[in-house]
Amino acid sequence: MSFSTLLNLLGFLNLILAGTMVLPLLVNWIYGEPHTRGFLLSIAATALSGLFMMLIFKRSSRELTHRDGFAIVALGWINAAFFGALPYLFTGSLASLTDACFEAASGFTTTGSTIFTDIQKHPYSVLFWRNLTQWLGGMGIILLSLAILPFLGVGGMQLYRAEVPGPTTDKLRPRIAQTARILWEVYVLFSAAEVLTLLLGGMNLFDALCHTFSTMATGGFSPKNQSIEFYQSPFLEYAITFFMFLAGANFALHYRFLKGNVKVFWRDTEFCFYTSVVLLATLFISLNLWLSIQKEFFQAFRLAIFQVVSILTTTGFSTADFENWPFFSQYLLFTLMFIGGCAGSTGGAIKCVRIYILLKQGFQELRKLIHPRAVLPVKLGGKVISPDTLSGIWGLFFLYLFIFAVASLALSLLGSDLLTSISAVAATLGNVGPGLGTVGPAENFAHLSIPAKWILTACMLLGRLEIYTLLVLLIPEFWKK
Amino acid sequence: MSIIIIGAGEVGYHLAYRLSQEKKDVVVIDRDLDKIRRVQSTLDVQAIHGSGGSISLLRQAGISEAGMIIAVTNSDEVNMISCLVAGVQDRVPIKIARVRDPEYSYLFPLFDKEHLDIDFVINPDHEVVEMILKLMEVPGAVEVVDFAEGQLRMVGIPLSPESPLVGKTLAEIREMHPQSNILIVAIQKGDRVFIPKGHNVLAANDLIFSVMPLKKTREALKIFGNNYTAIKRVMILGGGLIGLQLAKNLEEKGIQVKIIEPNEARCMEIAEKCQKAIVLRGDATYQDILLEENVSEMDVFIAVTEDDEDNVMISLLAKKMGTRRVMTLINKVAYSRLVHSIGIDVVISPRLAAVNKILQFIRRGKVLSVSSLPEENAEAFEVIALETSDLVGRPLREIKFPKEAIIGALVRGAEVIIPDGSTVIQPGDRVMIFALTTAIPEVEKALMVKLEYW
Repeated sequence: MSFSTLLNLLGFLNLILAGTMVLPLLVNWIYGEPHTRGFLLSIAATALSGLFMMLIFKRSSRELTHRDGFAIVALGWINAAFFGALPYLFTGSLASLTDACFEAASGFTTTGSTIFTDIQKHPYSVLFWRNLTQWLGGMGIILLSLAILPFLGVGGMQLYRAEVPGPTTDKLRPRIAQTARILWEVYVLFSAAEVLTLLLGGMNLFDALCHTFSTMATGGFSPKNQSIEFYQSPFLEYAITFFMFLAGANFALHYRFLKGNVKVFWRDTEFCFYTSVVLLATLFISLNLWLSIQKEFFQAFRLAIFQVVSILTTTGFSTADFENWPFFSQYLLFTLMFIGGCAGSTGGAIKCVRIYILLKQGFQELRKLIHPRAVLPVKLGGKVISPDTLSGIWGLFFLYLFIFAVASLALSLLGSDLLTSISAVAATLGNVGPGLGTVGPAENFAHLSIPAKWILTACMLLGRLEIYTLLVLLIPEFWKK
Repeated sequence: MSIIIIGAGEVGYHLAYRLSQEKKDVVVIDRDLDKIRRVQSTLDVQAIHGSGGSISLLRQAGISEAGMIIAVTNSDEVNMISCLVAGVQDRVPIKIARVRDPEYSYLFPLFDKEHLDIDFVINPDHEVVEMILKLMEVPGAVEVVDFAEGQLRMVGIPLSPESPLVGKTLAEIREMHPQSNILIVAIQKGDRVFIPKGHNVLAANDLIFSVMPLKKTREALKIFGNNYTAIKRVMILGGGLIGLQLAKNLEEKGIQVKIIEPNEARCMEIAEKCQKAIVLRGDATYQDILLEENVSEMDVFIAVTEDDEDNVMISLLAKKMGTRRVMTLINKVAYSRLVHSIGIDVVISPRLAAVNKILQFIRRGKVLSVSSLPEENAEAFEVIALETSDLVGRPLREIKFPKEAIIGALVRGAEVIIPDGSTVIQPGDRVMIFALTTAIPEVEKALMVKLEYW
C-alpha cells in the first residue's frame, strides 16, 4: 500500500473534478445567475486541495498493486462525492452537508435519488451540475482519468478492474489507456446523438443536455419536477427509452457494432437475456395496466415500456406515478430494480449477466440430480465460466442481498415504514433512484432523517462500485503490510 | 499495428514485457488460464485465453490488423501453424516462430516466401549453445556480446579481488594503459548499473562492462588481471538438446569433453553422434560419479539439464569439489538474481537469449544488433550514424549526449575506433552505444533514429 501514490492520484482526480466545475460556472454566466462566487469557491477549494495533494505527495515508481487499485477507486469515489457536494453548499441550494453529499453521491453513482423538493426553483447552473455529475459518474471518473492519464500503465488495469462493473473485465484494445479512451468516445458519441434527437423532439438545449447526461449515465436526474412526464410527448419518451436501452447494454458491444460487426448484439447471450427481460416485463405490465386502469392498449404499452426500461437500466426517469399502478406492476418493477443493466454498461444493480449465470447454475444443479456423474460446467456464449468467477458471482449476490437486508432494517429502525425502507434501499443500492412508499417517483428523499440519508449514500457507493471494491477497505487485513 | 504473441511462457512473457514497456500494442494468447491471469495483472497488454492455432481466436485478437506475430509456445507445431495461418489467412507481414526440435531443421528451407513463409525461426537451445561457446572464449566473463559482425566485442567481467585495477579510478587506469584501446562503458555494483566517469573507483567484485576490438580481447583480460589459460577439459551435465550440441561443438575444437546423462537410451544416442566425447551414464546427485571422473580437474563445468534446481545444486557441488568455473542454465528468472551471490560463476538464461535474438531481429534495419543485460535495465546496441543525426561531424566533446548513455565504439570499414573527446563521427559509421533503459528515448532523439520495429 503506497499512501503517497494514493493521495497523489486523488489530488489528480480533484484537478479533473475542478475542471468539470467550470461548465456549470459557464451556465451560470449564460443565464445571468448570481452564483459566480459559489462556483468559484468550489472550483478553488477542489483545485487547490488537488494541487496541494499532488505537490506534497509524490507518486512512487512502483507499479500499483491490486490493493492500491481498490483503495484508489473507492477513496476516489468517496472523495468525488464530498467535493462534488461543494457547489450545492456554496450556492446555497442545499444547506446541510448531509443533503449535499447525498445529492452529489446520488449524482456520481448515477442513482438519481434526490433531496430537491421543488426542482424547478433551483438555478440552472446547479441543475446543470447535478446532471453533469451523473454523466461523469456514468462511464466512470476513474476511467476518465485513465483516458487522460496514460502513464499509469499496468496500474491502470487495477483501477479499471476495480471500477468497471461486471464479473469479468475485458480490454477492448491492448493498452488500458486506449480502452478507456474508446469507451469514453463511444459514450460521447451516443450522448451527442441523443442531444440532437431530443432537440429534434422539441426540447430546449438546456433540457436536452441535462436529460442526455442522465440518460446515457442511466442516472435519472431531471431538471423538471415531473421528470419526463412534463413533456407529454410520445416521441421524446420513445427516444429516451431507446437511449436508456442503449446505455444499459455493454459498451464493448457498441464499440464492436460501430466497428462494423453488425451481428455482435444477437450473438451476445447477455444482451439477448437483457432484451428478453425488457420485452417480457413490458408485456406483463402493459397487459396489467390495460386490464385495470388504462383503456387503450398502446397508451398502456407506452407507459409500460418506458417505465420498464427506466427501472431495469437503473435510470429512474418516470412518465407516470407508478405508485398508482396495480400491485403486480409495482412489484414487477421492484423486482427489476435488482436485475439491472448489462455488465460493462452504465447501469447498476446486480447485472443481467450475473442473474443469467446464477439461473443457469441453479438449473445445472437440478440436472446434476438426474445425472449424478455428469460433468456440467456453466457456459456463457459457448465458453465455460471458471469456478473462480462463479464463486465471485455467488459471493456478490449474497452480499448484495445481505446489505439490502441490513440497510433496510436500519432504515425501519430509524422510523420509515416497511415499503419505504425496503424500496429506498433497493433503489439506492441498485442506483435506480425513485423507490416506492414515501420515496416514490412523485416524492423525494428530503424527509428522511440524517442517519438514514448517510446509510443510503453508502448504499449508492456500494452499488456503483459493486460492493467488493468498497467493502474490501473495511477489512482490517487490507491495510496490513 | 499490434504485435500478437502466442504463448505466455518465460519467453512470451518477457517479450510482452519489453514491448509493452516501449508502448507497443501487444496481445498475448495462451491456453493456460493462470499464465493469462499473470499477464493481465502485471502487464499493460491484452491477454486472451485460448489456443493460438484457432482462427476465430486470432481474429478476436485482431490479427487482421496485426503487424507481427510471434509464436513462442512450447509446441513447435502450434508455433508453425499459427504463423502459417497468420500469413495465409490474414497476411500478417512479420511472422516469427520458435522451433526447438532439431529434427525440424530439415524444414528450414521450406520457411521461405513460397512455402511456409515464416520470416524468422528462433531456436533457444541453439542460442544457448552459441552463448556458452562465446563465453568460453573469454575466460572469466559472464557476458560476451559481439558487434559489427564480430569486429567489436563487449565483455562483462567481475573484477577479482587480486586484480591490479581494484582501488583505481578510471582516469588512473587510462594513464596506466594509454595505448590499450579499451573502454569501460558501465559498472554494475550490486543491482545498480551506471555509466562511469573518470573519478569512479573500481572495487573488487564489481561487474565491469568494457568494449574492445575483438583482437584485443586477450590483452584486455591481462589488464583486468585475469590469467588467460586455454580451456582443455569440460564436463557437461545433461545430455539434452543443448548438452549434445555443446559436446559436438567442443570436441570439434579439440577440447576434452565428458557428458553425464542418466537415461541409457539417450546415452547411446549421444555416443553415436559424438566422436571423442566420453558419455557417462549416471545420476550426478550422487557425488561418486563426479569424484570418479575427476571433477576437480575440470576447467569448466556446465550444467544444462531441464531442471533448474538440479543445475544449481550440482554446479555448487562441482565448484566445491574443485572445478575452476561453473556455468549454470537457469530457466526461472526469479532464481537468476541470487545465483551469483551463492557462488555460481555464469548464469545462462535461455529466455534472455531468445528474447534478445527476437528483439534483434525485429529491430533490424535501423538497429543492427541489440543486447540487454540480465536485469534488463540496460541495453547495448549498434546503429549506423545518419547524416541528419546530431552526433555526426563534430568532436564528441561538443555534443550533448544523454548522461545515462555512452558511445562505446565506432566501426569504420575494418577499423575499430574507441572514441575519446576529440573523435568525430562520420556518416555511415557503425556506432555502438550502451544505454540505461531509461535513457533510450533521449538516445533515439540524438540519433534521429527510432528504435522501432519494422
